[in-house]
Amino acid sequence: MNSRALLAEVLVRRLYIVVLVASAWVLLRGHNAPGGGFIGGLLAVAATAAYALTFDATRALQRLPLGPLRLAALGVLVSLISGLPALLQNLPFLTHLWFTLPLGFTELPLSTVMLFDLGVYLCVWGALGGYCLALVRAIEPEP
Amino acid sequence: MQPQELNATTTAAAHTTMLPLVLIPATLFALLLYVLFTVALPWTFSSPWIPSLGIDFRVQVDGLAAQFLLLITGIGTLVFVYGAGYLKGDPKRMRVFVLLLLFMAAMIGAVISDHLIVLFVFWELTSVLSFLLVGTHHEEESNRKSAQQALLVTGLGGLFLLAGFILLSEIGGTYSIQQLIARTATLPDDARLPAALALIFVGAFTKSAQFPFHFWLPNAMAAPTPVSAYLHSATLVKLGIYLLARLDAAFSDLPFWEVTLVSVGTLTAVGAAIQTVRERDLKRILAWSTVATLGTLTMLVGLPGNGAALAVATLFFAHALYKAPLFFVAGNLDHGAGTRIIDQLTGMRRYMPWTAAAALLAAFSMAGLPLSFGFVAKDALTIAKAEADVFMLVSYATVFVSGVSVAVAAIAAIHIFWGRDTIPREVHPHEAPLNMLLPPLVLVALALVFGLAPTLVDPLLGAAAHAIAPGFDTAAVDAAYDAGPVITATLSALVLGIGIYLGWDRLHALLDRVRVFDNVGPESWYWRKLKFLPRLAAWQTRRLQHGLLPRYLLVLVGSVTLAMLALLWIAQPVWIWPAWHTLTWPVAAACVLIASAAIATLFMRDHLVLLLVSGLVGYGSAILFLFTGAPDLAFTQFAVETVYVVVAAAVLVMLRRGGPLPNAAQPEARLRPFALAVALAFGAMLTALVLYTAGLPFDAALSDFFGAQSLSAAHGRNVVNVIIVDFRGIDTLGEISVLLFALLAALPLLRLAHAARGRVT
Amino acid sequence: MIWAVALALGIVIAAGTYLALSRDVLRCLIGLALMGSGVNLLLFAAGRLVTHVPPIILDGETLLGAAANPLPQALVLTAIVIGFALLCFSLVLAVRLMLTTGTHDTSQLRTAEPAPTDDHKPALEDVR
Repeated sequence: MNSRALLAEVLVRRLYIVVLVASAWVLLRGHNAPGGGFIGGLLAVAATAAYALTFDATRALQRLPLGPLRLAALGVLVSLISGLPALLQNLPFLTHLWFTLPLGFTELPLSTVMLFDLGVYLCVWGALGGYCLALVRAIEPEP
Repeated sequence: MQPQELNATTTAAAHTTMLPLVLIPATLFALLLYVLFTVALPWTFSSPWIPSLGIDFRVQVDGLAAQFLLLITGIGTLVFVYGAGYLKGDPKRMRVFVLLLLFMAAMIGAVISDHLIVLFVFWELTSVLSFLLVGTHHEEESNRKSAQQALLVTGLGGLFLLAGFILLSEIGGTYSIQQLIARTATLPDDARLPAALALIFVGAFTKSAQFPFHFWLPNAMAAPTPVSAYLHSATLVKLGIYLLARLDAAFSDLPFWEVTLVSVGTLTAVGAAIQTVRERDLKRILAWSTVATLGTLTMLVGLPGNGAALAVATLFFAHALYKAPLFFVAGNLDHGAGTRIIDQLTGMRRYMPWTAAAALLAAFSMAGLPLSFGFVAKDALTIAKAEADVFMLVSYATVFVSGVSVAVAAIAAIHIFWGRDTIPREVHPHEAPLNMLLPPLVLVALALVFGLAPTLVDPLLGAAAHAIAPGFDTAAVDAAYDAGPVITATLSALVLGIGIYLGWDRLHALLDRVRVFDNVGPESWYWRKLKFLPRLAAWQTRRLQHGLLPRYLLVLVGSVTLAMLALLWIAQPVWIWPAWHTLTWPVAAACVLIASAAIATLFMRDHLVLLLVSGLVGYGSAILFLFTGAPDLAFTQFAVETVYVVVAAAVLVMLRRGGPLPNAAQPEARLRPFALAVALAFGAMLTALVLYTAGLPFDAALSDFFGAQSLSAAHGRNVVNVIIVDFRGIDTLGEISVLLFALLAALPLLRLAHAARGRVT
Repeated sequence: MIWAVALALGIVIAAGTYLALSRDVLRCLIGLALMGSGVNLLLFAAGRLVTHVPPIILDGETLLGAAANPLPQALVLTAIVIGFALLCFSLVLAVRLMLTTGTHDTSQLRTAEPAPTDDHKPALEDVR
């Protein structure tokens, strides 16, 4: 964008982090309240799209960890891995397991299902973010 | 490929000989002989193949199959020996040999399988391999056409055969041929039986070149001679006869069976015998005479009685023993003298003495002269006719066909090899190498031995006859033997044959003038249909593949609508209309927003406005989700709609910045009534469907299960999320993989999008 | 409730179909997006609309009480995401199409399927 407002740039730069943190929160609460990997991922995509539209696709790409393809691949991989521990216990693939990690002052509940949802989140962010960036890039003027 | 290239890549291979490959059929043959002598027939073996469909690979080798196996492997061995010489230096010989091996395997499979479907699979395999082999030298158009014809005729026949098999197994309640034969007594009551048999007849007749499907066989002579000798005289074309003989045990008592086979067989034999005289190419002459023999065999299968069964088995065997050598002879002539046209071949005896000897002995058997194996076959034929008490017409026909056989034998042996060589030639013909002489000589020597001592093959022929007619009894046949008719038949055939031979040229000229054979009949019909097909294809392609995107979609949506409406019409469901009063205000507002935004999109001409208005539909859906207990959906829809509208709007704005959007050459009409009608019908149909569904009783078992197990088994309170990540986890994994792979597949395209930009701006 | 939703989704799908039947690539895409939204609504409505209570198990309870049907929600949620991916992809295609061919009228895109000149000849023969 030629006449991009300074205010918008500053706002989006701050907002980017905020939205990503919010998306992570949506991801983590998803198992017990509205939210989850898909919604969290879409929020992150929104952040990427906003960044790309305010600045340009290249800069948004730099803020996307690993780049779209590798991020999406990592997501699928993480989801895949989350199903493996069940195999060790002679359970069918993708049977989720729960356990708690004692931290002294409190207990941290952990589960493979959380890992699975994280994979969904990463894949949605990578793949859909990649599409948005490609769209923006397709109509950007040559640098 | 350029000729030079071809030479360069194949020179090294051109000198390697194919002889070692002979070991494969030879080993099989030897093994077969050994087992035949040590283990009593029949051999059976069974193992499941496709258990879910009830298809077993059940193998049954009885006398008939054993006879076939001997021919397949024995003649196969000789064909391989012969082919190694005939195809020497041919760049395509590796291909031919590999295909021949595959063909041999398919033939063996077809002959030994007891399951109708397995038999069919091998049957079709032989058709395909025959297509590939006939088309060996596909550089020439006529060869391509011949190969295509062979495939179309036999392949289509195979489809009829499949239908017949399925119907037959429905009637008989089994796919096993042996069980079918065992259940024969109950079969003829079924009204579907004639249809099943008619379908099977079409399959068998196409394969064995019976009228009206006979024309492909002479054209298949485009194949290299070893292939013709193997496929189109000894094995492939006999497969149809084999099937008929195999089923003969079950159906020989049916009048339909007998009448059809006898009439079609006789018609084929007589027609082919007349066509024989119209040819000048030795190979085509032999091909037509093969068709005539196949017709005789079909007729014999149709004849009831034990003698006919023995005659089928004997003629099978005798024909293989004299026709294959004659094909080899034709190949030797082609190889040594450079032609197969009988007018240009006289007195070849002095150049090709061994070939001449083989030709003479084979012709001896083919003419059915006393002391030859052909005589034994003719003997059996006469007995069969006497026993079955056939029409006089059929009897005359067989005498006529035998007469033409005698004439063909005389042409092949006397006309070509005896007399003086009066045709001026540039190059003197030369004798074929040893590996092209050995195969015909071995076969004629065998025929000679068996002719002198038929008792040697009696057990084998008896076993085969027993498989065709389970009540077969050698003694009964012997008792029926009457020397009178045999002598009469042999003599009359001989006299007629000599007459035809002497008048061959005059007869040929006479028949050649009768153009009826070219312009009417099954073959011209075939060509007309073949010309019509591309026109039909082009016409329907023009109608269906017009390249107009909206029309494709119109047809698609229209047909789906019609199909669904037809289903509703047929089902005649009882409509229970859901209640009105449960409507809440927020839902009503959301629905109004959705509907009005959707209607508004129809009136927006500007793309950007259209996009924004269409976004309202998404927001409306989100509100609807929020107030119908689906906050997850609402959030997702909000996020998606926002990102989509913002990004798409930005794209549109930036596209316009590069100049106004190009306009269509002819602006589209504002109102497209037909499209509107289809769209309205589609929407109305879906509305009706939803309302109908809502009236049906709801099965909540699955939802209740998820609701009950979500916390206790999956430790999650948000049931929707638990379903996504846990209960249906594999689905979700597949789905995110789809996202990943779609991105992977789209990446090149996206890069192109980037590159293409430079052209416009 | 179902009446209103059924009517609304019928209208959305009808409008989407009409737009998709256009020669204009962008209209066509927007129409497809509308059809997608309509089908999502259809899927959702097929699971019955009875309450506004979300399918979330309340604190202190172990079973899902009288709440909305969670199953169609799970299906529709993933359908929305996949639909979005599809839409983005087709938009990229459309943009590329417009930039390379200079038109958004599908009736002018005849490279692969040229207009007929003779009803009895395959189209490819015309190209040669």
